Formats: sequence, C-alpha cells, structure tokens
Amino acid sequence: MFAFIGFSLRRAWLGFWRNGLMSLAATATMVLMLVLLSGLIILLHGLDATLNYVQQEVQVVAYLKDEATPQDIAGLATSLQGMPQVTHVESVSKDKALQDFLARHPDEADVINSLSTNPLPASLQINLRDPNDYLDVATYLKNQPAVDRVLNIKQTVDQMLTVIGILRAGGTAILVAVGLIVLFIIVNTIRLAVVSRADEIEIMRLVGASDAFIRWPFIFEGAFVGLLGAGVTICLLLIGQGQITAFLAGYFQVLPVEAAVTVGQNLILIVLGTGVGIGVLGSYLSVRSYLIR
Amino acid sequence: MQGVTKSYPNGRVALRGVDLTIPEGDFVFLVGPSGAGKSTVIKLLIRDELPTKGAVLLDGRDLGRLKRREVPKIRRKIGIVFQDFKLLPNKTVRDNVGFALEVTGARRREIDPAVDRVLRVVGLTGQADQLPSQLSGGEQQRTAIARALVHNPRLFIADEPTGNLDPMISWEIIQLLLRINELGVTVLMATHNAEVVTAVRKRVVALENGRIVRDQVGAAYHRED
Repeated sequence: MFAFIGFSLRRAWLGFWRNGLMSLAATATMVLMLVLLSGLIILLHGLDATLNYVQQEVQVVAYLKDEATPQDIAGLATSLQGMPQVTHVESVSKDKALQDFLARHPDEADVINSLSTNPLPASLQINLRDPNDYLDVATYLKNQPAVDRVLNIKQTVDQMLTVIGILRAGGTAILVAVGLIVLFIIVNTIRLAVVSRADEIEIMRLVGASDAFIRWPFIFEGAFVGLLGAGVTICLLLIGQGQITAFLAGYFQVLPVEAAVTVGQNLILIVLGTGVGIGVLGSYLSVRSYLIR
Repeated sequence: MQGVTKSYPNGRVALRGVDLTIPEGDFVFLVGPSGAGKSTVIKLLIRDELPTKGAVLLDGRDLGRLKRREVPKIRRKIGIVFQDFKLLPNKTVRDNVGFALEVTGARRREIDPAVDRVLRVVGLTGQADQLPSQLSGGEQQRTAIARALVHNPRLFIADEPTGNLDPMISWEIIQLLLRINELGVTVLMATHNAEVVTAVRKRVVALENGRIVRDQVGAAYHRED
C-alpha cells in the first residue's frame, strides 16, 4: 500500500516536471480561472452585504396619539420587542421628534417657535428582521389604541424587495455560469495534458498495470496542479488584498468593516477546494476515457 | 480461439468464424495481407477487444468472462512488442524495462535483479543507462522485448517486430525470439517478412479476409504446392 502511494506520488511529481509546458499551461489556466472566480465571489459578497444592510434599514414608523400615556407606549414597545419579526424598537418622544426636526431644518426654527404647542407626534421606530414581515407588523400596529397611524411604505418596500431579489438571482446566475465555464476550461486543459501522454497510458495497460496504478499518478498530478494554482491565486489575492479592501470600502461605504476579513478566510478555502477538486476531477475524467474498454 | 467473429462498430467485419489453437511452447507465424485480421487476433488475445461471437481462451480462461480487475493479471502472462517499439523516450533502457514491473506494484529489490536478467537475455547489459534516442532500431526493439519478458510471460506476442528494421537486424530479432521460444515461452509473431518465415520453417497460420486460409507446420510464407 505504501509502495503504491509512493509510486503514485513519485510518478505524479515526475509527470508534472517532465511535461513542463503542459503542466505550466494547466497551472496558468487554473490560476487565471481561480482569480476570475474569486474576484467574482468578492464582488458578490460585497453586493450581498450591501443588500443585507439595506434590508435591515427598513423601518416601520408608527405615530402615536397625543393622549397615549408613557405606560401605554412602554407597554406597546415591550410587546413589539417580543415579536419574532422585530429586531429593535426605538421610542421617540414628542420632544425628541421636535429636536430632530429642528436639527434637520434649522431654518424652520422661527415657525416652530411661534407655535404654542409641539405639533409633532411621538412615534415608535421598529426595525425588522426581514422586510417581508412589514405588513404583519404594520397591521398589528394599526389595531393598537395608542397608535394614530402607521407610515405606509408598503410600495417602497415591495419595490426594494423586487430589486434586491433580481440582484441576488442575477449574481447567483453569473456565479454559477462562470463556475461552469471555469470547470470546463480547466478540465479541458488537464485533458490536453493527459492526452499528450496517451502513449504512456497505453504502455502501462499493455504491461498489465491495474487501473489504480494508471489512474492515481494522474489524479495526484491533477491535485498538485490544483494545489499549485490555488497557492499562486491565494498569494495574488493576499498581495492585492489591501487594494481590494480599499476598493470595496470606497465602493460600498455603508459596509461594516468586518465583512472584508471573513471574505478572506472563506475565500482561501473556496479557492483551495475548487483548485484541488477541479484538478482531481479533470484528471479522473481524462484518464477514465482511456481505461474504459 | 473458438468460432471467433469480430465486427467493429463501424460495420467492418475483421474476423469470420476463426478457430485457432496454439499449444503451449509453440512458435507460430501469423501472416496475411494488411487488413486480413492479424491485428484483431492480437487485440483479442490481449483482451483489448472482445469477440462479437465465439470465445477466446487463454490458459483455459475465457477472456470474455474476466472481471475488470482480473484483466491486468492476465496481461502480465503475455509479453507484447510492436513495430513502433512504444518505449518511453525520457527513461533509460533499464527504467523502461523496470517500468513494466514498477506499474504492477513490484518492489525495487525485486525489480533490479529481474531487469538485469532480461537485459542479459537480449544482450543490452552495456546499454542499460542509455536513452532510447541513443539506441539503434534493433537495440530499441530488443529493449521492448526485454520489457515484454520481464514478467516471465507464458505467451509472447510480436506484432510486426521487424517492420521498421533492416534485414540484418531483423535476423537478430528473429534469433532472439527463437531463443525465447526455446526457453519454453509460446511465441506468436505477426509479420509480412516472407524471407524470415520461409527460412525458419515453423507453423504458419495465414489469414485472408478474416478467415484462416492455411495452417501448416514447417511451412513457407507463401503456399507451396
């Protein structure tokens, strides 16, 4: 068994170096495709984070009647906080609303000051886990005695959800399409490398090598190409990381900073897995066509 | 071979109802024009192809009923050489021969003595560390013969082994095959080389259009009436 693994690894290593040009072509293709794939993943991840952020910004605003007592308001806030759809409830008093208004419109201060009473209502600002729950929460609020009216943003929410849905589906479709193209190109390049050594495979068959002895050196070689390609790609990504993060931060200004770091770790795993996986798959498929007879 | 018919997917019928028995230790020339079915006979014997009808038995085993994983074991009982030698260009003579054992999982300490032994048989001990490109045609074919012998095969198949060699060298190769036969190995040689076949006077099986048209012991290349 050890002799077999040793043999396969040695053959794979020799095979890689003796067919330098083909190995170089396969590795270069691998790097190019993996860079393309990881670039796309980074972009889509950024898009996803942005969309999540936008979704969390959806707020239901309920204006409260002036008669509502602080106890009524606190009770309502507590019951809202208990709803599974709600992430956060902020109570805005009449005074706070006035301050906010003045802060935003300093020019209107004279008008406001000329009034004897504060015309702005108190309100509850409710953040949702999922914008799709907007209607549930809004309906619940409308039936509360303390609530005067609920700001109707249903149309806006619907439009936003449609746009987000299209962006997500489009992103996934592009990723899948590019992924398949990458798979196809790499498998074909590896196939070329294997075909150029058809003689070797034929000789092995004729002298009575078992399928495993023929297959595994090529599979190890494919894994080696994948590993090398992934390694180079990861180095390129690490070198370019600073620029990528700066670019993303500039592009998606609203993003929380941690997003970039998690991309790094997952991406390295994805690149490694894809590289080695496709290398092995490509070799397996290519050699298989010689073994089935 | 019992009642073997072989037709290829493209519709060409290569063999029609061929019956052929080769006893152990025999030396057989397989002759006939191109396309007569010589290559197909060889492909059936090494189970590179399966018969459309009939059965091919080797050492009492029906090759058509072998399991996939048994095929390599059967092939190790057969040594085969071709017109174009099929040597690996970047391996030395020694490594080319040893490769045949290496790919069957043999250990280094078993490989080295076996390789030395067959290199002595074919007379290439002095060229063991050269690459195929540094050898003459005859030496390359002898390397291929050594590789085919290194498993101690029971059956030795030579497909036009002298096709690329000049007459002098061809004779050397034939002498080598006769010696191998004397060591007790069954030899089947497909050839166009009339001079050699006629001179050696061994069993001659002639194929034409996929049928055996002559099977004569001690015969010449052409029919002698």
